[in-house]
Amino acid sequence: MLTRDRVVRLRETPVPVPGRRVARSPRARSFLTFMMVMGPGLIVMEADNDAGAVQTYTQAGAQYGLHLLWVLLLLLPICYFIQEMVARLGIATGQGHAAMIYQRFGKWWGVFSLLDLQLVNFLTLVTEFAAISLALSKMGVSPYISVPSAAVGLIALVATGSYLRWERIVITLCLIDVAWFALSAIVGPRWGAAAFNAVVPSMPKGGITTSLVFLVIAIVGTTIAPWQLFFQQSCVADKKLRFADLKWARLDTFIGACFTILVAGAMMLVGDAAFRHGLKFSDPAQMASDLAGIYGPFLRNGILLLFVNAAVLGTTAISLSSAWAYGEVKQWPHSLHKSVIEAPGFYAVYALCVFAAAGVVLIPRAPLPLIILGVQVLAGLILPSAVIFLQLLLNDRELLGERFSNKPWNNYVNWTIIVLLFALSLVLAAQVVLPNLVPAT
Amino acid sequence: MQQVLLPNNVNRFEVVHPIYDAPELKCDPSDLGPMKMSKSVRFSLLALRGYLAVMGLMLGYHMLDLAGAFGTHLK
Repeated sequence: MLTRDRVVRLRETPVPVPGRRVARSPRARSFLTFMMVMGPGLIVMEADNDAGAVQTYTQAGAQYGLHLLWVLLLLLPICYFIQEMVARLGIATGQGHAAMIYQRFGKWWGVFSLLDLQLVNFLTLVTEFAAISLALSKMGVSPYISVPSAAVGLIALVATGSYLRWERIVITLCLIDVAWFALSAIVGPRWGAAAFNAVVPSMPKGGITTSLVFLVIAIVGTTIAPWQLFFQQSCVADKKLRFADLKWARLDTFIGACFTILVAGAMMLVGDAAFRHGLKFSDPAQMASDLAGIYGPFLRNGILLLFVNAAVLGTTAISLSSAWAYGEVKQWPHSLHKSVIEAPGFYAVYALCVFAAAGVVLIPRAPLPLIILGVQVLAGLILPSAVIFLQLLLNDRELLGERFSNKPWNNYVNWTIIVLLFALSLVLAAQVVLPNLVPAT
Repeated sequence: MQQVLLPNNVNRFEVVHPIYDAPELKCDPSDLGPMKMSKSVRFSLLALRGYLAVMGLMLGYHMLDLAGAFGTHLK
């Protein structure tokens, strides 16, 4: 029997409702809201520090020391502005990027964008599994065990039918990348020179060469990748972010951009250690083994495990961007909230991406390091077209109205970015047509 | 977003996770059809077609060159 006192206490006790929290101050409310909204921005940015990125940034450090750090700082506002537009479009429409291109630009451009995305994504996924194979081979695990195990684990990660479970696991994987700062501290970086080179552009010894130009384009290609546009918009839509969440989604994206650039810088500092000791390597796994002779096995194992983590993060995000995009265009059920039975096509595309890429890696003597660098260059070439669609969609006032459309200053910034990306692509083209334009080494 | 002031609790705010919140009416393109081809949109798409054609040819040429399809490597 309930006493009067017990009844009062029961009434005062808030009933726990899923997804609802009570804040006791406006500041706590803002913090709670941000924590609930946070995710897509951080994940899209940090997943971009994938295996190819580890390869490119450490290679940049090993070949040119700290001279290319300023490129990363330059890319920080660029990746933020691009991804902010994607988040805005996703919140405004509640639909993914592929669906928007299909509906607003017609079937031709829709199919083109989808095929484009699937091709670059597939090649990139091959590089992710190549990294898993390379890194775990150095730790004594056969590729015939590591690669299939990773593929099965990556499918299990998404197949639980819970967006939130997937998001929490992936955010944890993102935060593991903090360990790159510890590794960069172990190799005793030149902090003063790093700070100077991050803000003051400088020319490496030997001036502008073909390899320098290709490496700069590869850095741009790996820092701003086409799959990111598709991934974040679909992720924002799947998370059902609301109009009022836009400012928190922007903050999420900005924090993600800062974090990813800092981690990229830490990778370059680790590569710089190889530069200072005159070590040459073809992939980060070999770099880890070479540096172990100087800094010990902890550094070696740390680099190898973070290389695997980068590949796992990249694989789940890239495969999801493919699966979401395909599901949107085919109008299949496409959501991490749905179970495998409710959205079979969506999960089948994800599984196909993962298993096909894993299968290619197990083919003997595939030129994997070359594929890794080639993919970054290919992504750098395709990115300008993806950004043009984004820019046109964000100026679609008929669809977005004044509230979500680009403001004039947005357009100035974005057209500047587009011109910069096209210029880099043209430089690459000039290198191909006139290979003697700049010296090879 | 439902961030409502709870009744009789001046300093308590309810915050709802977006996944569990009531759906909003979004900007829906399904009734609009394809985007209107203004001069700037038409020009952008035409330039994009040209760019993709040229870059695709150049990249293909470069890959074949790297693979040694033209006998000796240019570099």
